[in-house]
Amino acid sequence: MRFRIPLVVFLLFVLGLSAVHAQRGFRRFLIEDDDAPMPADAAEKTEFTFARLRYPSGGSWGYRGHWTIDYPKADRQFVQGVRRLTRIHTRSVEEVVDLDTDKIFDYPWIYVVEPGRWILSDEQCKKLREYLLRGGFLMTDDFHGSDEWEQFMYSMGRVFPDRPVVEIEDGDPAFHVLYDLDERLQVPGIVNYPYHRTHERDGYEARWRGIYDDKGRLMAGICFNQDLGDAWEWADDPTYPEKYASFAYRVGINYIIYAMTH
Amino acid sequence: MFEFLFQHPSTLFAKGQFTLLSPWPVWVLVLLVLSAAGGLVWYALRSRGVLPKPRALVVGALQAAMAAILLLLLWRPAISVTTLRSQQNVIAILLDDSQSMGTDEGGARRIEQAVRGLEGGVLDRLRDRFQIRLYRFGGGLERLEKLEEASATASASRLGAALRETLAETATLPLGAIVALTDGADTSSGIDRETIAQIRGRKIPVHTVGYGREVISPDLEITDVVVPPRTLADSRLSAEVVFRQNGLAGKKTKLTIREGGQRGGPDGKVASGRILLTREVTLKADGQPQAETISFQAGSAGAKSFHFSFDPVPGERNELNNSLQRLVNVEGEKPRILYFEGEPRWEFKFIRRAIDEDRGIQLVTILRTTQNKIYRQGILDPTELEAGFPARAEDLFQYSGLIFGSVDAAAFSPEQQELIREFANRRGGGVLFLGGRSALSDGGWDASALAELLPVRLADRTGTFHREQATLELTPQGREHLITRLLEDPIRNAERWKQMPALADYQETGPPKPGALVLAEVAAQGRRQPLLAVQRYGRGRTALFATGGSWRWQMSQDLADRTHEDFWQQLLRWLVAETPGQVNGTTPRPVLSDESVVRLRAEVRDKEYSAVSDARVEARIVGPGGVAASIDLAPDPMEDGIYLGEWAADPTGAYVAEVLVRRGEEDAGRDVVMFHREDGVAEHFRVEQNKELLRNLSEQTGGRYYEADEIGRLPDDIEFSEAGLTARQTLDLWNMPAVFLLLLALRGAEWFVRRRWGVI
Repeated sequence: MRFRIPLVVFLLFVLGLSAVHAQRGFRRFLIEDDDAPMPADAAEKTEFTFARLRYPSGGSWGYRGHWTIDYPKADRQFVQGVRRLTRIHTRSVEEVVDLDTDKIFDYPWIYVVEPGRWILSDEQCKKLREYLLRGGFLMTDDFHGSDEWEQFMYSMGRVFPDRPVVEIEDGDPAFHVLYDLDERLQVPGIVNYPYHRTHERDGYEARWRGIYDDKGRLMAGICFNQDLGDAWEWADDPTYPEKYASFAYRVGINYIIYAMTH
Repeated sequence: MFEFLFQHPSTLFAKGQFTLLSPWPVWVLVLLVLSAAGGLVWYALRSRGVLPKPRALVVGALQAAMAAILLLLLWRPAISVTTLRSQQNVIAILLDDSQSMGTDEGGARRIEQAVRGLEGGVLDRLRDRFQIRLYRFGGGLERLEKLEEASATASASRLGAALRETLAETATLPLGAIVALTDGADTSSGIDRETIAQIRGRKIPVHTVGYGREVISPDLEITDVVVPPRTLADSRLSAEVVFRQNGLAGKKTKLTIREGGQRGGPDGKVASGRILLTREVTLKADGQPQAETISFQAGSAGAKSFHFSFDPVPGERNELNNSLQRLVNVEGEKPRILYFEGEPRWEFKFIRRAIDEDRGIQLVTILRTTQNKIYRQGILDPTELEAGFPARAEDLFQYSGLIFGSVDAAAFSPEQQELIREFANRRGGGVLFLGGRSALSDGGWDASALAELLPVRLADRTGTFHREQATLELTPQGREHLITRLLEDPIRNAERWKQMPALADYQETGPPKPGALVLAEVAAQGRRQPLLAVQRYGRGRTALFATGGSWRWQMSQDLADRTHEDFWQQLLRWLVAETPGQVNGTTPRPVLSDESVVRLRAEVRDKEYSAVSDARVEARIVGPGGVAASIDLAPDPMEDGIYLGEWAADPTGAYVAEVLVRRGEEDAGRDVVMFHREDGVAEHFRVEQNKELLRNLSEQTGGRYYEADEIGRLPDDIEFSEAGLTARQTLDLWNMPAVFLLLLALRGAEWFVRRRWGVI
């Protein structure tokens, strides 16, 4: 009898855990199954390659590092959309680049996931600054709330100590270069399943921020308090809302075309 | 000696007509000569027992020659010649009084040599038989009372004008001959055909006496500077400075370009002005033309004057011919270039960024982003290019240049393709083709009507575009071309290009077409092939840059490096630098040296660039000291759309003519023409004796050319003329000592050979 209460509690816990685990999103949250098959045309040489930045980070995302979140499925699924929806000659697989070699200069568009965790060295900040000023474009995604913003700015502030991060205005070509994105959504991550809530931490409102060069050209598109990467990754999941997936594709494609035109 | 042997001057034989005075027929003479010769040779051969056959033939030939001469004398050979009647004819003596006649020739100036030559008996001998009119000429003709009045101070030397004025002034006089004492260093455009025809019509021989050395040494002289008459603001200008030197081979000097420099001071050298560039030049072989191609910044918009000058080399005899001036109209308008790109590419972005920094060019772009959408940039209003690539001439021809990126030829309708061809051919625009996966052969351009616009032949297959890194290498032509000139020195420039990062890709091309210029090649697949090539096409120009991967030059080099920007700005500026507007004003001689009449020419076209012949064309001229005038240009009956006019620019200095065109009440365009009038500058150039000009003048008019020390023969020769009042003389030739000596020589030769052969 004295074991009855603990046993009931244990059984209820197991039952609850099973129920929760049965929910697909939560299951993914616990063990992100980001793997994706290697396309047959992976070796094709193309004009555009989805370049994912590998950066040093602390925190708890384990041995892979925060730069690998949604990798590589989000990347490969997103470029399928780029191929289908635009004339951009796009590679079917991503390329991982870092700020420790000059390889990054062969990829004028890079994607950074969870920059709220990055910790760039001074040398890496310097290289990123040079990359952007030469004409490279940076798209950041999937970081939320004031703490991660602060961490983001700890490095970004050293990349451009002289340039402010500003809100991108509605009329900016980045929001119109292909798709008109006057009405923008806060795209939720998979952790928000079943998506009644779209924000994480204290990042209640999606922010569209950027850094401009001296000629008014956007160098960095900073998607803050939103998770486009998850929307790309789970676009093929029937439970993920189509409106978020479609919007995330549009945002990503607009930033690529903007980077290839400005 | 000649006159001793032939009793008459050589000129008589040159001018006279040979004749036989005997009433006997000439055929009889021929028959007798042949008979006598035949008989004598036959007789000599008949006695071959005495002499072998060859020797007998020699003796026979000598006897036959002697017989022939004696027979000829029986027919009374004579020469008939027209001579001037004594004291009834006028001889005009023209003395060059220009500054080049002041050149020192070993202790005496040319003018002094000429005066001394005349005063040394020649003038007196002429005066004994003719009425003499003395003139001096420079820019014009002037009577000269005394030879001492000649001072070699005239700022020009226009021999053609002097001859014309002489003819006019002596139109009612019996002018027997003209004598010109000159160095032939003419500062005008030579002697025109009309003047020569007038002289020949009156049969007046022009005798020329040449002064001065044919080679001035040591001396360096700029002979020409070739520079485009107009360019875009902030452009690099390329000038070819042509010069030659004598006696200075191997020496070094400095070539300087000044903006706004003026010839000032008594020495006439260029001193003021802002120095734009200097370059050290090593002088090459004596007497050979040498050229330096030099580029410099044209600067902001406006009428610019550039002086190109060499520093004097120690010992140089004439330092005033080391500098030349050229005018350039630096246009403030921004030409617009339409760039059609078939797919989003990094090349597109980085070309746009490079041109964004160029204040002189505006890039308008159409990018096909998806199957159904285009993205336009650089447009003036939302309606511009709304329907995509223009389909009407007036819409397309508003641009000065076109660029085609990675887009297949089939994207353009046959009508649009014809418009593109006419864009280069009729409108005179520049067209650039880039490499890409849908460009050139891979885009079917080789099979399109536009293949002829390309400066290279294209392969008749696809799969020519390769996303493999490749390195550009300049050709010898590319080392100095305005498009590819990153550094002034051609060798350092070529080295700089070798250090450039590799291109991201390249496209195979074929061999260049005749007339095309390959500026850069790429080594790939075991062979070198054109990468950057240019050519003229109709009124325009076309170019090929067979890659879509020059963006790596920007991304792979330090931020401070401007190679990518400079290259694209230079390429696109070159593409449209000579694209004409609807109104194109020109003048054949932008620098009027010692002449005042400026000829203006305007080419007028409508929005479709068809010739316009019903326009009213006016030129408003503003010059130094507040000079202002307005003239109407008249349609050229020989050519549609061309309007011509002339105006006399009296004060020296810089002029600007604004050409305004109206069609009815409509303003149909405008252009600006610049010209400059200067006096006394050309006189310092080509100061060596122009013997060729003087010889040609004399030969074409029946006169004779004399070296300075031969002037003493002039009085004897001058009487043989068909102009003025003349008499015909017939002079016997049989009594010439030369005839007697010839007969004696023939007889003596026969005697000599007979003696030698032992048959006397």
